[in-house]
Amino acid sequence: MLEIKNLHAKVEEKEILKGVSLSVKPGELHVIMGPNGAGKSTLANVLAGRDKFEVTKGEIQFNGEPLIDMLPEHRAGEGMFLSFQYPVAIPGVNNMYFLKAAVNAVRKYRGEDELDAVTFLKMIREKLKVVELDDSFIHRPVNEGFSGGEKKRNEILQMISLEPKLAILDETDSGLDIDALRIIAEGINNYRNKDRAFILITHYQRMLNYMKPDFIHVLMDGKIVKSGPKELAHELEEKGYSWI
Amino acid sequence: MNLINYQNEFQKLLERKYFSSEMHPLRKDAFTKLETTGFPTQKWENWRFTNLSALTDNHFLISEVKDAPQNSIDTSQYEIEGVETIVIYNGHFQKDISSIPDGIELLTGSEYIERNNNELIHSEKSPFDLLNTAFMDSGVCLIVGKNTIAQTPVRILFISNGDNSIMVNPRVYLDVESGSSLTFVEEHVGDATALFQNEAIYISLEENSEIEHIRIQSNSVNTHNIVSLHVSQCSNSRYNFFQYADGSKMARSNIYIDLDGENAECSINCLSLSRGTQHLDNSITVNHNSPHTHSSQLVKSVLFDNSTGVFNGRTVVKKDAQKIEAHQSNKNLLLSKSAKMNSIPQLEIYADDVKCSHGSATGQLDDDALFYFQSRGIPKAEAFVLLVSGFISEVMENIKFVTVKDHIDQKINSWIA
Repeated sequence: MLEIKNLHAKVEEKEILKGVSLSVKPGELHVIMGPNGAGKSTLANVLAGRDKFEVTKGEIQFNGEPLIDMLPEHRAGEGMFLSFQYPVAIPGVNNMYFLKAAVNAVRKYRGEDELDAVTFLKMIREKLKVVELDDSFIHRPVNEGFSGGEKKRNEILQMISLEPKLAILDETDSGLDIDALRIIAEGINNYRNKDRAFILITHYQRMLNYMKPDFIHVLMDGKIVKSGPKELAHELEEKGYSWI
Repeated sequence: MNLINYQNEFQKLLERKYFSSEMHPLRKDAFTKLETTGFPTQKWENWRFTNLSALTDNHFLISEVKDAPQNSIDTSQYEIEGVETIVIYNGHFQKDISSIPDGIELLTGSEYIERNNNELIHSEKSPFDLLNTAFMDSGVCLIVGKNTIAQTPVRILFISNGDNSIMVNPRVYLDVESGSSLTFVEEHVGDATALFQNEAIYISLEENSEIEHIRIQSNSVNTHNIVSLHVSQCSNSRYNFFQYADGSKMARSNIYIDLDGENAECSINCLSLSRGTQHLDNSITVNHNSPHTHSSQLVKSVLFDNSTGVFNGRTVVKKDAQKIEAHQSNKNLLLSKSAKMNSIPQLEIYADDVKCSHGSATGQLDDDALFYFQSRGIPKAEAFVLLVSGFISEVMENIKFVTVKDHIDQKINSWIA
């Protein structure tokens, strides 16, 4: 599904990614851990198509298509989803309006009919239950005045509404209380299937108590320096990164 | 200051049979004063960001009978559902296609003067008030009698068309007597290739009265547009003003509000959308002359291309006007590197027990927000429209009458697209 080969990327002349290679197959859950400044968020942003990150070397294939020159909105249409570490607040734009525009843009890209207001509302109400939010939530401006937990749940709401093939969750577990963490982990677990893959970027092992990752990768100084099974996360939690 | 063109036009006006000669002394007095002051220059503190040289470089002629419509005019494209409309075409009142709702009295200028014992309320706050008094043509006076709730909004539709270089000086009086309310819309439209419109509006609100005033400035981008809005408010009155501007080459709105009675309240909201080389200037003065008065100003501008804008908001709290509340907010969105906004929020407070705030912010579209939308599949062009609409929506919440709001929403949507 996703093939990253020897990926180098820079931001404002500073090289952050220095040769990342990663292969993700449908149905898999990959976890990327690593110290601050290792390049985890840069990798997530490069995959989503943020133009301030410039790819200088290497290649990325997504569903067999070259990804690097693809517009961010087309990536979303192709099934890529990034849950942002810091979702931006957008005063004046109603959350429901935004969600509807997003869902219909993606449906249009995929050659599906756009949803009318009634069908959309019915669909979104079901999804709201999954993330345990009430209706009033979608009538507020996007992320404006949302608590940290609400912002992350809004990201998950968008994810399950857009039905991506690959979801990248950038520190979705940071700054959450236990309840919010459980809701989000369950949301992801219920959403896993054999066709859908996840990349979870995290600092902590605690989210992994709720889920079953296939691989743990350690990203340090712009490279994946170690990969292993779930147990690697426990080891990292105990010993830190210095032993690698 | 070269006013020679205006002197010529003024002589022509005095010879007009259909202008009442009773008004001549007033007109002459105003014109003499104007000759002394001249038009403002950029050396005048309150005018330093607005260049008015086009007003003296061009020769604007007073509107002639030939500038009135020769055939019946079709106003269907300006239709707003549920609104009664008075039509003024190039300064000429179109009686046949005008209507007003029950409970509202429409007087001509001379009837109005007679009613007010031959005293005309006028003002000399700027040279444009003097110019308007000297040249006033289409006079519309609306009176809402005591305890009248006018359910149907009244609109004055100013249509300015044609290729002649003309000058119009509309004068509007709006008297709302105690316990009454009215929604008043003025809309400026047309395709005039060279127009100077110098409008003066006088609004008087008696005790417990209320006005929703919506001004839509969608005239041609060749228009030089000055409006001077004078509002005086008695106790417990409410004045809500909303101005939408996407028209005019150069526009200046002089807004003067006097909160004279206790608990008088005003809310001033402006939205300016400019592109090309348009220059839109909003200059607002709110005087808190009495205790317990409230005011708020929310002024937003969206600027494309080489367009420029000015916000000059001044709130003055008089010495004994205690326990007042005044808020001012100016927000501007620059959508090109060469667009420019000048923002001057000012508070002058001479009382000591007041609650005041002011703020100004000018910025570009948020890249993070744009990317957020794109990452959710929304194409960049659509994301752009959504974000600009989002910026605008806050000020639009202040329009209460639904069909009028829809009318403006349509204008905004076609402007952004």
